Amino acid sequence: MLRIAIDIGGTFTDVVAQTSEGFTSAKVLTQPTQPEVGAMDGVQRLLKKLSKNVADISDVVHGTTLATNALIERRGAKTAFVTTAGFRDVLEMRYEKRFDQYALDIEFPEPIVPRLLRFGLDERILADGSVLKAPSIDDINNIAHALKQQNVEAVAIGFLHSYKNLSHEKLVAQRLSDLLDKQVTICLSAEVAGEIREYERFSTVCANAYVRPLMSRYLDKLLGQLNEQGFKGSFLMMLSDGALTTLENALRFPIRLVEGGPAGGVALAAQVATEIGSAKTLSLDVGGTTAKICFIENGTPKTARRFEIGRAWKGLKGSGLPVRVPTVELVEIGAGGGSIATVDALQRLRVGPQSASAVPGPAAYAQGGTDATLTDAHITLGNLDPEGFANGMIQLQPLLARNAVAEHIQAPLAFDTAESAASGIVELANETLANAARVHGIELGLDIASFDLLVSGGGGGLHGARIAEKLGIKRVLVPRNAGVGSAVGFLHSPVAFKSALSVLEPLSEIDSDQLAQRLTELENSVRSVVADAVPSEWIEVRVNAELRYQGQGLELSFELSPDAGFSEALVHLENKFRNRYQEIYGFVLENIAVELVALSVNAKDTRTPTSSPTFIPNTVRLCPKNTRSIHNVQTGDSGEYRVVPRDAVGCQVMVGPIVIPEAQTTTLVPSGWSVVGSTHGHLIMSRTNA
Amino acid sequence: MNHSKDTVVNNVLWNRLISVCEEQANALLRTAFGAIVREAGDLSAGVFNSRGEMLAQAVTGTPGHVNTMAASVSAILNILPADTLVPGDVLVTNDPWIGAGHVFDFVVVSPAFFNGKIVGYLASTSHIVDVGGLGWSAEGRTVYEEGVTIPVMHLRRGDKLNEDLLSVVTANSRVPHEARGDILSLLTSNDTGIDRLVDLMREYTLATLDGISDFIFSRSAAATRTALEKVPAGTYQNSLQLDGYDAAIELQATMEIGGGLVSVDLAGSSAALERGINCPLNYTAAYAAFGIRALLTPDIPNNHASLAAVRITAPPNLIVSAERPAAVSARHVVGQALPDLVLGCLEKALPGKVIAESSGALWTIALSGAGPSKFTSLNVALGGMGARSNSDGLSTTAFPSGVGAVPVEAAEIAAPLIYHSKEFVADSGGAGQFRGGLSQQIVIGSRIDEDISLSAAAFERLNAGPAGRQGGKAGAAGYVAISDGTTITDKGTYVIPRGETLILRTPGGGGFGDPKKRKKEAVTHDVSHGLISEESADKNYLLVNEESTNETI
Repeated sequence: MLRIAIDIGGTFTDVVAQTSEGFTSAKVLTQPTQPEVGAMDGVQRLLKKLSKNVADISDVVHGTTLATNALIERRGAKTAFVTTAGFRDVLEMRYEKRFDQYALDIEFPEPIVPRLLRFGLDERILADGSVLKAPSIDDINNIAHALKQQNVEAVAIGFLHSYKNLSHEKLVAQRLSDLLDKQVTICLSAEVAGEIREYERFSTVCANAYVRPLMSRYLDKLLGQLNEQGFKGSFLMMLSDGALTTLENALRFPIRLVEGGPAGGVALAAQVATEIGSAKTLSLDVGGTTAKICFIENGTPKTARRFEIGRAWKGLKGSGLPVRVPTVELVEIGAGGGSIATVDALQRLRVGPQSASAVPGPAAYAQGGTDATLTDAHITLGNLDPEGFANGMIQLQPLLARNAVAEHIQAPLAFDTAESAASGIVELANETLANAARVHGIELGLDIASFDLLVSGGGGGLHGARIAEKLGIKRVLVPRNAGVGSAVGFLHSPVAFKSALSVLEPLSEIDSDQLAQRLTELENSVRSVVADAVPSEWIEVRVNAELRYQGQGLELSFELSPDAGFSEALVHLENKFRNRYQEIYGFVLENIAVELVALSVNAKDTRTPTSSPTFIPNTVRLCPKNTRSIHNVQTGDSGEYRVVPRDAVGCQVMVGPIVIPEAQTTTLVPSGWSVVGSTHGHLIMSRTNA
Repeated sequence: MNHSKDTVVNNVLWNRLISVCEEQANALLRTAFGAIVREAGDLSAGVFNSRGEMLAQAVTGTPGHVNTMAASVSAILNILPADTLVPGDVLVTNDPWIGAGHVFDFVVVSPAFFNGKIVGYLASTSHIVDVGGLGWSAEGRTVYEEGVTIPVMHLRRGDKLNEDLLSVVTANSRVPHEARGDILSLLTSNDTGIDRLVDLMREYTLATLDGISDFIFSRSAAATRTALEKVPAGTYQNSLQLDGYDAAIELQATMEIGGGLVSVDLAGSSAALERGINCPLNYTAAYAAFGIRALLTPDIPNNHASLAAVRITAPPNLIVSAERPAAVSARHVVGQALPDLVLGCLEKALPGKVIAESSGALWTIALSGAGPSKFTSLNVALGGMGARSNSDGLSTTAFPSGVGAVPVEAAEIAAPLIYHSKEFVADSGGAGQFRGGLSQQIVIGSRIDEDISLSAAAFERLNAGPAGRQGGKAGAAGYVAISDGTTITDKGTYVIPRGETLILRTPGGGGFGDPKKRKKEAVTHDVSHGLISEESADKNYLLVNEESTNETI
């Protein structure tokens, strides 16, 4: 077995090889114009280390943020949009709502398709799916002519109510593909995101068309190079919802690749949770500019069907590009190592969302940054060792960190020492992260205190214990391989595919035969996507129904049992909904119809993903008698922490205060906490003072 | 040491109070009935101290609710004082003069008890779909015709729900079950807020909210004062004309700035009418204060102290200070014009720094079945925002209201209507160095070939478009007609006969600065994208070059 995972991010490309002996990894710089070159470079390095050839590779699993970056930087194809006549501005009108009530200077992102490439076609389907006006061939021909003149590379088609009846979209797509150059990409809104709400569906299909030519060229090259060198294995891509899919399907819906990288991180968290036996896990990844939160139950991450790309206005919700794709439900918070601490007009201390990013970076990097960042606060407190930071790639200057904290925070707020100002910064970051988790947990109706906190990313280990205390959490998990976590996560992900169907009819009025037929069609198409990579006996198909009281926004999801007949299942659903609603809100609403909002279908490979090899704990190794002085955020005093290398943490419980430095991260085990190594080599911290 | 450590703790507490309200508002948003409320976010939530002073509010709220609610809580407690309340009690009213300006808006206030004492209050407001009377219409002569008014009373006494009250509401409402559901969801969202507040106080071992109140209020007051002191002191006047119900009305403001305070008196504005576009002073104050705060103190959160620096007054019984029993259903027609009115005063204090006039009042599209099929459909048609001093105005975006439009597909699912088009209107944004936001044209008809009834209550600025500033031109005036040739000129009720369509063209935003100073590339871009016509480019801007691309369609 030789499986290779490739994760191409904005800055680094991580390549991980999995053999029967375990994982080996390589990190190379991403080459934005030729990402396949960096990827192949990484693969070759690993193969050399393992003395293997490309021909020995059994699987390649790939995730990338190229599509996301192309959307954010507007580097996609010249794309046209064909829509219902009279509605070409829907794409630009968005929600017709300001995302910040008080800021008079906000701007919306430019639409992906400019107005002069948006064409109205005289056609109309009504809310019930019936046809008011069929498109005329002449009109389609005229549009085709204009598209040719404009030399567009991609065409998105989106008509009103196509989620109910996609015949017009199909007809126009067929005709255009006959008339246009074969190279031109054509995408249908009902196929890319077949759900109600025209703006979000149109936005999704345009984004899909916009990135498809670029993704297809890139993947052709990568696969071409692999094949040239004798690659004979399978090639799968990581989707935003943590599932793997075939290359062919990824190329139909490249917009579904956008959150593939972060989904890999979540997949690893889910795998680690399973290995440790954590049934309820809150995953927190603290990176350089932001932190990401995801809830995982029984090894399954929470997922959503909507995502916003590139929140361009101060990271505010609503300022990005919405896409309707299945995605792991990540909450992103503007608080990472590079987040800048400031004092605002109200003399309040704030951390983020502005970030010093990698350039100029925190003040301590001595690359010209002067702002006080969260990383500078950690250095001032002694949490980070200036020696050997990031494998020695960056030489930290503690004095610059301290000066930045003193100038920007200590002086204006009259803290008596730079350390107390720095502990204020760290405490506020802890609070911001804890609060985001708290709010998200409540939205999902979860009792956070019953979860374990799994921390990853460069800053996870520094914040884990304190955030856990704030949330009433008693166990903190720090996985191995955190540095190349997403790529390892790809190797733990199953092949799967999801799609949804908008219904929006009261349960009592549904034509169950007709709906059953639509559902069967959807089930078949979703199953066939998975069947390209998975033998049919391993495929499991699940259907979920989303219900609400008609007129209300709150949707509750229930699994449709596979055994009962469809119309019977619908009857059960109504009771289940009314009962669950009562549980949550304490009352029922009589005489209000229960509406079926949507059915979603998920087909999945049921084979368990491969598990990490068992790690033999090494308790024999002696810990060097080494201590470091660290300022305590809560007491305000400094204390001596024992420095323990990661490899030295074994199955024997060690009691804090301990600091565990590694190449990519540092873990703090304060007093009141203990730490032990799990059989898979992960760290488990437990509260002894709770 | 203690001082700075307290600062961090108080910072944390302040953030946590805001998220208590956010959570309360989210619970409300999910359980509200009617697409317009959900999409629009026509609701608010806030937490108050034991004196009934607002500490924090949810960011989601719309200004008309939030700022009125800040005053509602103490008004409600004047009627049912704190010492009469027991744990579990919940108070309610939809009195326009105590709540949010019309009978549709219900304010629910719940005392939070901790260790046997009231430590604060949670309040929330949302728009209930129907409470009887004329329904959505400006045709009422008095508030009595506009639906049932619930005076301040208990919605829950201890653990016992006031079913008598709920039955009065349901007996009066055209959609009784939804109305009941909406009122109950206000109550449960407050319950959620109380639980979180009590958790927070336990976690930080707080006995009262006095300390955090002082911290929030002193910081907010000081920052507000600093910001207001930067504005040159003086007296500034402005006036604005609206279409009114069927005859023009005048809004007049005299603003005094000095000593870290802004006061606005609206004397000179037109008298109250016998039609439902009158505005109670609480709602007037809410929007006038919003306009001032958005320009001068946008980063300071809304609370008792930051709102206290802005005082709005008016002699009794003007259209901006209507008293019972004036009709007030469509009070937002006047209320939402007030930001433009006060921003016009500020333009005199800070010339060249103030956003041009915007389309103002939300155009409520209130349609109902006038044939055999009964239905009601509420949506909004949004116009252009004024140009800013350094950027174009936002097209088809609500301002000052914070709501958005219901998607066409959702509107057509909910009612037997066809939206035939919804598109930008070229040349509707006021010309300027920075162009006003574009308006839109929406054409709607029946899907089932039946008559439709239309309330024109909120179609404002049909006579004159929003004004520009600093040499910028006015945005286009609005236009509403029925395809049979009827042009809508007042705020009455109309019928769209079967087979005909309703044509709505919202007002465009005012321009900012001399159009001749507009960058040539910007003019070329607007022409090539069909946002302005070649004629307008010729007339208003410096001539565009020949090579400008023709519009494709």
